[in-house]
Amino acid sequence: MKAAKIASEALRNTGRYRLRAVLMTLGILVGISSLAVLSSIGEATKRETMQRFKNMMGTFDTIIVRPGGGRSRGMPTLVNVPPTLRFEDANAIASELPEIKSVAEVQNAFDIDVQYRARTTSPAVFGVSPNWLALRSEDVGDGTFLSDEQNLSLARVAVLGTDVRNGLFPDENPLGKTIRIATVPFQVIGVLKSRGAGPAGATLDNIVLIPINTASRRLFNRDFLTMLIAEVKDPSRSYETTEKVTALLRERHHLRPPALDDFTVTNPAATMAQVTRAGTTLNKILTGVSLMALMIGGIVIMALMSIAVSERRKEIGVRRSVGAGRGDIVQQFLLEAVLVALAGGVAGVVIGVGGVQVLARFQRLPHILLWQPIAGAIAIAVGTGVLFGIYPAWKASRVDPIQALRS
Amino acid sequence: MIRVEKLSKTYGRNGYPAVEALKEATFQVVTGEFLCVRGASGSGKSTLLNILGCLDQPSAGVYWLDGEDVSHYSDAPLSRVRNAKIGFIFQSFNLLPRTTALENVEIPMVYGHGRVDRKRARQALERVGLGARADHFPTELSGGEQQRVAIARALINDPALILADEPTGNLDGKAASEVMRLLEDLHTEGRTIVLVTHDPAVAAYASREILLQDGAIVSDCSLGARNRGEV
Repeated sequence: MKAAKIASEALRNTGRYRLRAVLMTLGILVGISSLAVLSSIGEATKRETMQRFKNMMGTFDTIIVRPGGGRSRGMPTLVNVPPTLRFEDANAIASELPEIKSVAEVQNAFDIDVQYRARTTSPAVFGVSPNWLALRSEDVGDGTFLSDEQNLSLARVAVLGTDVRNGLFPDENPLGKTIRIATVPFQVIGVLKSRGAGPAGATLDNIVLIPINTASRRLFNRDFLTMLIAEVKDPSRSYETTEKVTALLRERHHLRPPALDDFTVTNPAATMAQVTRAGTTLNKILTGVSLMALMIGGIVIMALMSIAVSERRKEIGVRRSVGAGRGDIVQQFLLEAVLVALAGGVAGVVIGVGGVQVLARFQRLPHILLWQPIAGAIAIAVGTGVLFGIYPAWKASRVDPIQALRS
Repeated sequence: MIRVEKLSKTYGRNGYPAVEALKEATFQVVTGEFLCVRGASGSGKSTLLNILGCLDQPSAGVYWLDGEDVSHYSDAPLSRVRNAKIGFIFQSFNLLPRTTALENVEIPMVYGHGRVDRKRARQALERVGLGARADHFPTELSGGEQQRVAIARALINDPALILADEPTGNLDGKAASEVMRLLEDLHTEGRTIVLVTHDPAVAAYASREILLQDGAIVSDCSLGARNRGEV
C-alpha cells in the first residue's frame, strides 16, 4: 500500500523534472537500442545457421566417423581418403555399443557423369545404407527409397535429388527410367524432396543415392567407407558415446599410444555449438560498445540523481517531517532512477527493433522479432537503473531533515 | 500529552568543544494547551522543537509523547509517530516546488495508513480558505497563502500536536494575523499547540509561555490574563 503510494510519488516526480528525466534516459537509450539490434541480429543469424545445419545433417543426434586422422580439406570422397574405415567397423559399432541405435554406411564420390539419353550431369554420388533416410530425416517426394532387399541383392536402383531430376528429366517422369552412372545402368525408383541450402549456402539437392553394397561392388569397386553415421540413443550423452566409438575403433585398428587415430569422429551438436558461438569479432566489439554506452548511461543517471538529491534536500526534509522514514526515501529515489532507466530501455528497444526492421530490408537479414533479447534488454536497463540509483538514493536517505528544513 | 524530563542536547564534533544546546529541560504540556516557547536566537528553542517533533533525539533525558517513551525510538517508529501525531508548520513554509497546493497537502497521506484521499485534501484546503487555489503552484501563491497551505498539510492526518516554528516570521501583519487566527481555531478544537517565536506579540496568543536562555528554562508561566496586542 505504502510502496504503491511512494511509487506513484516517484512517477509524479519524474513528470515534475521532465527535462532531467529525458537527459537521464539518453545514455540508456543508446546502449539498449544498440544492444537490442545486436542481439536480435545475433539470435536470428544463429537460428538461420542452425536451420542450415539441420538441413545438411538431418538430425543432431548422430556421430559421424570419417577415415584418416586430423583435418582433411573439403568433403571426403573415395579418392582422397585412406582405406582405414571398413564395413566391419560399422558392424562392430552397431552391434557392440548399446548406446548406438543404428549405423549408416556411406561411400561417395564427385564428378561422376550421370547420363540419361542425351543429357549429362555430374552430381555427388552416394552409396548409402537404406536407413540413411531416417538418419537424415529426409523425405521421398516421388516413388520409394532404397530397400534392404535391394541393398543385399546389389540391385542397380537410384534415388535422385531434385537438382538431378530437373537436369536429366526436365519434362518427363523419371520413375522407372534407366540412367547411366559412369557406364553402369541404374533404374530410377524415387525422387527426394528438396532440402535447400547447407551451411555454406550450396545446394544439397545435386545428389544421386544408390545402395551401399551396389556402390561398393558394382560401381566404385572399393571395400572401405568414406563416412559412417551412427545414431545415438541418448543425445544428452553424445560426448561419452563419442569417446566409446573412438575407443572401439582404436582397438579394432590396433592403435596404441603414441599412435594417433586413423579416423576422425565428429559430433554435429558440438560442431554446431562451435560455429554459432557468439559470433564474430565485430559482434564482440559492438557488444562492448553498447555495454559501454549502458555504463555511461548508468553513470549519467547516478550523476544527475546525485545533483537532484542536493537540489531537492528541502523536499527530502519535508517528506521526512511528515513521516517518511529513511527506507521510504531510498525507495522513492531508487524508483525514480529505475523508472527513468526503464523508459530509456523501452525507448531503446523500440528504436532498436525499428533499426533491425530497416536493416533487414537492406541486408536480407532474417528479420525475426524475438521476445527473449527484448526482455533481456529491458531487464538490463532496469538493472542499470537499480545499480546506479542505489548510491544517490542512499545519499538522499542520509540528508539531515533538520538542516534541510532550515535552509 | 508531552512530558520531558532532564532533556539535554549536546552537539559535539571531534576536536571542537561540545555545545550544549539544551540543558536538562523538564516540563509537561497537557492536552489542549497552547504553549509558546520564547527566547533569543541560539537559546535552544529550535533544538527543543525538533526533539518534540521527533526529528531529533535527545542526548540525555526522557520524552514521553502521548504516554509513549519516544526518546530511544529508531528511525521507522519515530517516522510513524511524526506521521500520525504531529503536524509541523515552518517559518519558510517548506512547500514542495513544481507541486500543486493540493498535491502538497496530500503528501503526509503517502506515508500513513490508507489511501491518498484527494477529497480530504481538498476539504483541508477549503478549511484554510484556499479551495479555489488547489491547482496553483507555490510560486503562484502569496506568502500568507503558502503558509495556509502548509497548515492544511499539517492538519491532513488529524494530528493531536501542532508544532509551529516562527510561523509568522516571513509574513506581513495581515497575513500573520490570519495565520495566528487559524492556529487559535486549532487550539479551540482541542489540539495541543507548541509555538516557537521571539515575537512577544505572537507569544500573546498562547496560554502559557516558557522562556529559554542559553538552553535552559528560565521561566515558565501561565498567561491566564491574556494581554493580546495586534501582531
